[in-house]
Amino acid sequence: MAMAATNRWLQTHLRRSDPVSTTNVDQSLEVATVHAGEHEEEDNRMFGFIVFLLSESVIFLSFFVGYIVYKLSSAEWYPAGFEGLEVREPLINTIVLVSSSFVIYFAERFLHKENLWGFRIFWLLTMAMGSFFLFGQAVEWLHLPFGFKDGLFGGTFYLLTGFHGLHVLTGVLLQGVMLGRSFIPNNYAGGEYGVNATSIFWHFVDVIWIILFILIYVWR
Amino acid sequence: MSNASLEALQPSLQPQPGAPDNWKRFFTFSTDHKVIGIQYIVTAFVFFLFAGLLAMVMRGELLTPEADLVDRTVYNGLFTMHGTLMLFMWTFPMLNGLANYLVPLMIGARDMAFPRLNAAAFWLVPVFGVILTASFFIPGGPSQSGWWAYPPVSLQNPTGNLINGQSMWILAVALSGISSIMGAVNIVTTIFRMRAPGMGWFKMPVFCWTVLAAQLIQLFGLPALTAGAVMLLFDLTVGTSFFNPELGGDPVLYQHFFWFYSHPAVYVIILPIFGVFSEIFPVYSRKPLFGYPVVAVSSLVITGLSGIVWVHHMFASGTPGWMRMLFMFSTMTISVPTGIKVFAWVATVWGGKIRLNTPMLFALGGLIMWVFAGITGIMLASAPFDIHVNNTYFVVGHFHYVIYGAVVMGFYAAIYHWFPKMTGRMYYEGLGKLHFVLTFIGANLNFFPMHPAGLMGMPRRVASYDPEFAFWNVLASLGGFLLGVSTLPFLLNMLSSWARGPEAGDNPWRAIGLEWMVSSPPPHENFDEIPVVVSRPYGYGSDEPLVANASEKE
Amino acid sequence: MFYQRWFKQRWILVVIGLAIADTVLSIWIGQQSYRWVPPQASAESILVDDLFCLMTTVGSLIFFGVVGTLVYSMIFQRSPKYDTSDGPPIEGNLKLEVIWTVIPSIVIVGIAFASYQTYDRMEILGDIGPKSLGMATANAAPMTAEVVKTDPIEVRARQWAWEFYYPEQAVSSTELHLPVNQRANLKLTSEDVLHGFFVPAFRIKQDIIPGREIDFEFTPIREGRYRVRDSDYSGTYFAANQSTVVVESAAAYQDWLAMAAAQSPTPAQNRAYREFQRSRENPNSQGWATVEPAAPPVVNYASSDEESYE
Ligand code: HEA
Ligand code: HEA
Ligand code: CUA
Ligand SMILES: [Cu+2]
Repeated sequence: MAMAATNRWLQTHLRRSDPVSTTNVDQSLEVATVHAGEHEEEDNRMFGFIVFLLSESVIFLSFFVGYIVYKLSSAEWYPAGFEGLEVREPLINTIVLVSSSFVIYFAERFLHKENLWGFRIFWLLTMAMGSFFLFGQAVEWLHLPFGFKDGLFGGTFYLLTGFHGLHVLTGVLLQGVMLGRSFIPNNYAGGEYGVNATSIFWHFVDVIWIILFILIYVWR
Repeated sequence: MSNASLEALQPSLQPQPGAPDNWKRFFTFSTDHKVIGIQYIVTAFVFFLFAGLLAMVMRGELLTPEADLVDRTVYNGLFTMHGTLMLFMWTFPMLNGLANYLVPLMIGARDMAFPRLNAAAFWLVPVFGVILTASFFIPGGPSQSGWWAYPPVSLQNPTGNLINGQSMWILAVALSGISSIMGAVNIVTTIFRMRAPGMGWFKMPVFCWTVLAAQLIQLFGLPALTAGAVMLLFDLTVGTSFFNPELGGDPVLYQHFFWFYSHPAVYVIILPIFGVFSEIFPVYSRKPLFGYPVVAVSSLVITGLSGIVWVHHMFASGTPGWMRMLFMFSTMTISVPTGIKVFAWVATVWGGKIRLNTPMLFALGGLIMWVFAGITGIMLASAPFDIHVNNTYFVVGHFHYVIYGAVVMGFYAAIYHWFPKMTGRMYYEGLGKLHFVLTFIGANLNFFPMHPAGLMGMPRRVASYDPEFAFWNVLASLGGFLLGVSTLPFLLNMLSSWARGPEAGDNPWRAIGLEWMVSSPPPHENFDEIPVVVSRPYGYGSDEPLVANASEKE
Repeated sequence: MFYQRWFKQRWILVVIGLAIADTVLSIWIGQQSYRWVPPQASAESILVDDLFCLMTTVGSLIFFGVVGTLVYSMIFQRSPKYDTSDGPPIEGNLKLEVIWTVIPSIVIVGIAFASYQTYDRMEILGDIGPKSLGMATANAAPMTAEVVKTDPIEVRARQWAWEFYYPEQAVSSTELHLPVNQRANLKLTSEDVLHGFFVPAFRIKQDIIPGREIDFEFTPIREGRYRVRDSDYSGTYFAANQSTVVVESAAAYQDWLAMAAAQSPTPAQNRAYREFQRSRENPNSQGWATVEPAAPPVVNYASSDEESYE
């Protein structure tokens, strides 16, 4: 009795489809889902990547908050004998890095129009600009009169620029990988997820730098 | 795809994750969300036993007022590692395991969005678990600065070594953070983008809502902890001055970083348990979840509020009065969305056809202890009262009521409830009930006496205490040992019924939900044909079908 | 018809009866709450205990209300053994849901307001930021006590000893003496890590932050000896870092100060230091490396560290 009641209940509530009936499935519907499936996977990866970047931005946000709190609350901010940062070279660096955001955009446009050489040239230009930035930063670090351990300013300065620099380096390396991949025949024929993601990452790194530049170099 | 229908004809040929036939797959880099889910749960449970064993030693020490059983440094290492392991090696992986196993099944997906990322996130867990455990065996022992690792104590490093308990602790916590972020990106993407056709937001089971709410917290909270941990690591190893007051740093800033994540983290832990309650009460009361849309949305309200209350852990710290008052109020508002859930569960149970199977018993027991814990939580949120009980056993009592009473009991409820689905076999009801009785008595005997001890002024994190607290501590220790014993019937039950329990059938609870429509254990890609969802979950008592099936389409 | 009406009325009566029982029980538990805490030895403790009583009462009301309902269902609404039917398909009730959103909101606003007032009247914190939010200090607790302006007593915390320094008399002590019914002014400092100044009988507590001076106030109102505890975890010998506060009449207090001022400084007993030396002598001690405790403080008045307090 109980069994029968259970079965009846299950039938009304769940309607678990009988395995054999799968053969009846509308064929065209199935084909559609398969194709949607591939695109969906790309879209999923993009979605996931953006979620990740949003999360990543909170690390920077935390460091920024730390920097602001320290700067507002500490009695002697700069290490003894240090007057303040030189702005000119970092400004050039900034201009190069920010412009590279536009360059990478054009690279993406070329790829979209399936002009591979255009893509490669502009992509390489972005890489060069990113490397220039890293080089400039390395030069600046080498000539600064204070180190990581010199007070809160020294600590936060190297922490912020270093952590950001690491992201620039990652971006350049990713760009290198994508450039390499462009030589695999037909690799970018379908989706360009890797290229688009790298590009978004690059814009992200740029925006972070602008905030960082204002906080560290402009705000006195 | 073309051979999907072929496979569907021979479902028994597919590997069945969870079935006891081939245990070796649990030691591989499997990308099946069901294998990964069980890997997470079992790994986490092993660490739960280990961290519980440490707690047993602590309770042994606290049987008497003197510091006699273990050295003070050992005691301090024990509670630090107990707290750290319980949170980072037990609760987070355990809940990720549940989410991994259940979410794709519940939303009608074949797997998670990123199966390989999923496996990688899991395999980090044993890695940092081993790092933490290994820190017991290095000179100077494990970290002894409490699970908060507040500087300057955490920077003191009496051994002078670069590799010390504290730096290994930071490394492990950082790896745990990376693993959690990987998991969170994966779960959030899966829930947003892979729901079955027809499953709009308000047709999604509450468990998925709560998992989403919890994982969003990981995404915005963990990076703050990571930032704090990185700075702490530099202070410890390089000698920077971020949190070191001797060099002009600010130890209170670390507390803000730490609690900005670690408060929301407690909701990462409790929210999926709310989800478990919301799934279980309807099944065993045979009624729809009362006020489903509001219960679902209140999870996200909790996520939002959880980000603006962290200073309630710092009411007695270097915080000005206005900050204490502001965060006192924001903290209390949490009780409104939580109350909505609690009352909805009570109303779900009310007037139902109640069946007290083991999962239901654990869920009800967990709910009762949660209400108690929530009320002491509101008391703690009251700054002037918290100033008296802050850093006393009252706080320890509060959070063990939540974390053992609600979370561990909720975990047991979930395991018993979905055990037949995961393994295809039924657990033994008698052992389950015995487990419940021992756990419920043990937990209350263990954690209730902590409240009076705390009110009398007994500080936490002490290896020795004044004799006036002895009475309550003896009771607590007895309860603690009983809790230790209570895990034995559970282990026995799980191992024996997994190996040769009776066949359970696909839906032994006559529950409504996509996960109950596939075989037990579910086949490799879950669904032969992705179902089309046509109605809300929890349709008990009405005859609406949950999904539209193929034959109806004509 | 008649039957139904009678049944309905009886049902309402039962609910009202249960609500009254819950209320009575909760009020009783609330009154008990005064017995769960140490004696009220400061003006602040009276305020805090009243607040705790209020929260215990409200909390009990909620707890027993919710749990009572659940337990009733568990006992009386069980499904018969072979009954596989479902319960009524009730999906929600807007009125109820509004009620249980609004009532808790009102309750927490009430508790928050009571807490705010309590905190405002305690006024324990000196300059750590903007003083207090409001100006409701007219009938604040400190006003009931004599306000005698003295230099604050310096509380120096270290790993692991307490030292109290009275700047006007240049007296140092390992025991804190305070005159009864006078506002006590402390300046909290730490030389190494975080500590916490905690006197359970006073219901007050404040973390001590190295690198900061924290002004802290309260009013002892009951003579006796009470425990001072370190409340913020400070490392290996944290548990041993305790001392005594002695509240005495103004005359006895002055006598004590004069007596202490006349004594030349001697090293005090110190439990952390003693235990550390002992473990160092013991070659097979089972411990890990620890920060070395500071030498025992050298003070005018060295209390014995025998536990003598209420
Ligand atoms: C999963 C874990 C978890 C959860 C869910 C909670 C939930 C809550 N916690 Fe708890 N808490 C911890 C884990 C948790 N806590 C831990 C681990 C610590 C200590 C960490 C450490 O120091 O090591 C801690 C410490 C802690 C403190 C700091 C104490 C101190 O250190 O001095 C405070 C203070 O406000 C607090 C408050 C709260 C509140 C208000 C809630 C609320 O979410 C509770 C809300 C629930 C209810 C209120 C009950 C249900 C509601 C109703 C029935 C409606 C009607 C109710 C009212 C109108 C009141 N908690
Ligand atoms: C998920 C979180 C969680 C859980 C489940 C527990 C569970 C328990 N906790 Fe935990 N606890 C914390 C999280 C948790 N705790 C945290 C975060 C802290 C704060 C740390 C800090 O201050 O930094 C804390 C602190 C803490 C203290 C305070 C220490 C102090 O301040 O000095 C105490 C004291 O009694 C305690 C006791 C217990 C006990 C008895 C259990 C029991 O429930 C345990 C039950 C026991 C078992 C389940 C194990 C059974 C094992 C066996 C029987 C052996 C089997 C053997 C093998 C397989 C080899 N805990
Ligand atoms: Cu936790 Cu706050
Ligand atoms: Cu909290």
